[in-house]
Amino acid sequence: MINHIRKYGRVLRELIRLRFQNLMILRLDFFGPFFVDGSLFFIQLLAFRAIYSKIDAIGSWGRGEMILYIGTFSLLNAISMTICFFGINGIPSKIKSGEMDLYLSKPISPLFRLTFEYVNPGSLLLIPLSIGIIVYGAGTREGEITGGSVLRYLFWLVIMAFLYYIMEVLIRCVSFFLISTARMEQIEEAGLMLCFKLPGIAMYGIYKVIFYFILPYGIMATLPVQSLIGEMTWKTALQGIATVAVFAVLTAMVWKKGLRHYNSASS
Amino acid sequence: MAQKWRKMTNIVETKDITKIYKRYKKKDGLKGSIAGLWKREYEEKAAVRQMNLTIEEGEFIGLIGPNGAGKTTLIKMLTGIIAPTSGEINVLGFYPNDMKNAYKKQYAVVMGQKSQLFFELTVNDTLRLFKEIYEIKEEEFQKNKAYFSRLFEVEELMNVQVRTLSLGERMKMELIVALLHNPKILFLDEPTIGLDAIASKQIRKFLREVNEERGTTILLTSHYMEDIKALCDRSVVINHGLLIYDGKTKDLFDKYQLSKRITAVFDHPVAELKLKKDGVDVILEGEYKKIYNVQKDMTKAVLAEIMQYEPDDISIEEEEIGAVVERIYREGSAVYE
Repeated sequence: MINHIRKYGRVLRELIRLRFQNLMILRLDFFGPFFVDGSLFFIQLLAFRAIYSKIDAIGSWGRGEMILYIGTFSLLNAISMTICFFGINGIPSKIKSGEMDLYLSKPISPLFRLTFEYVNPGSLLLIPLSIGIIVYGAGTREGEITGGSVLRYLFWLVIMAFLYYIMEVLIRCVSFFLISTARMEQIEEAGLMLCFKLPGIAMYGIYKVIFYFILPYGIMATLPVQSLIGEMTWKTALQGIATVAVFAVLTAMVWKKGLRHYNSASS
Repeated sequence: MAQKWRKMTNIVETKDITKIYKRYKKKDGLKGSIAGLWKREYEEKAAVRQMNLTIEEGEFIGLIGPNGAGKTTLIKMLTGIIAPTSGEINVLGFYPNDMKNAYKKQYAVVMGQKSQLFFELTVNDTLRLFKEIYEIKEEEFQKNKAYFSRLFEVEELMNVQVRTLSLGERMKMELIVALLHNPKILFLDEPTIGLDAIASKQIRKFLREVNEERGTTILLTSHYMEDIKALCDRSVVINHGLLIYDGKTKDLFDKYQLSKRITAVFDHPVAELKLKKDGVDVILEGEYKKIYNVQKDMTKAVLAEIMQYEPDDISIEEEEIGAVVERIYREGSAVYE
């Protein structure tokens, strides 16, 4: 087991090295994303500022909580963009072109390689910027934030970053079974955009069912913030853990089934 | 004659493997498309049909067949990339589609149209990644890298950006990457596709050496008869997914390859050549370029006649693979020991 972990650690190091070297060959490719991602981030902030300058409260949350929420969602997005988004996003095209053959014939988990092969240092800047928003949000709200609640927040952040990742994988695994998956990715994008703007606590009825249990983007930033501000109940926590567990099992099953279903492409 | 089913020395054994793909049969026109929204008809296409194949350790086997014959599908099943619809496969004691890492470490696959190199980086960079993936010790890695870069005569190119390499050089690099971990079996799917005659010849020479020096079992698919003729003692011919010949390459060419194509290019205008021989088909009779299909046993005599007209350049090509396959198919399946 230790040897296995060591091997994956060494492969990860090489993948990151290669990715950095690859990006650094073309300087615009290396520096461009820092500028583009940074600019997009500030444009998003301006949009949120325009929306929330006119709104004092959403449900039980005031401005401070909403800033925490936006910062948390940005952080989850930044982690994904930096580590795995570009690799996972390439899965459908690799399945269609048959390039997946090259991943399946190597003695290493194809999903591991795909996850870390296209790390994106250009999005790295978004992580401290998002943390900055979270710190500002924490300072803006009136309630006290304890060391314990920060630890709980970090725990939920890790869990939700994992949920964010498995949702990305699950949606792209559909390519193993269907030729066109663009609509699935559109649903993902629409869900993410909506939940970026609207926390789960503001959702009721069918919307809550959809965004808590079917496309669980509604809980991704909501639960960490609830844990930080002391609003999380045991019921919510258990529901959150169960949702992540169910989606983890589902993703693993669909991925495995997808590999068996893979027919490659004629050369 | 049926294939013998030997248990001990064979490292590849397949028993009645079949791979069936399902494809949508669309009816013509808009009406057909609308009907297809609700009810679809699918047809089954067998890419490989009940194939029995055994390969012994150290063999160099040619897998021949026209486009769509099922060569690549067979290689993908043997490597575990895809699963057969039915039948049994055993390669080095593994069922390939179990995708066990222990199996993947023992083979390598090179696909002529898919590259595993990082184009913006050097081959040395790619090799480092594969060293870790295959868990190769540093000493062995350095030894193999030195051996193969010397064998393939690319020592000077190991630190050159892959993008700037020629197609032939790139293929040599693909082979080095594939061979780095000393695989027991090397599956080659059209490794010489698109290469010029010199590069193809070099690749053939290196592959022969890998097979002889390292004892690597090689299964090679190629469109080019020259590849198979130069390298493989044994050939397997497949057509429409069926194995139609399994035997000595020499016998295959002696029996089924009946003609050669001669192309003569002149730097001065030459009117119609007065070739006396029967069994010569004129394909092109231009003033500066002439192409003939010549019966194999008459090649020497026809060449001698053409030489009298002082050609600037002359080339002799093996009969194309499709014609040979068609001939075998017409005469019935021929599976030899």
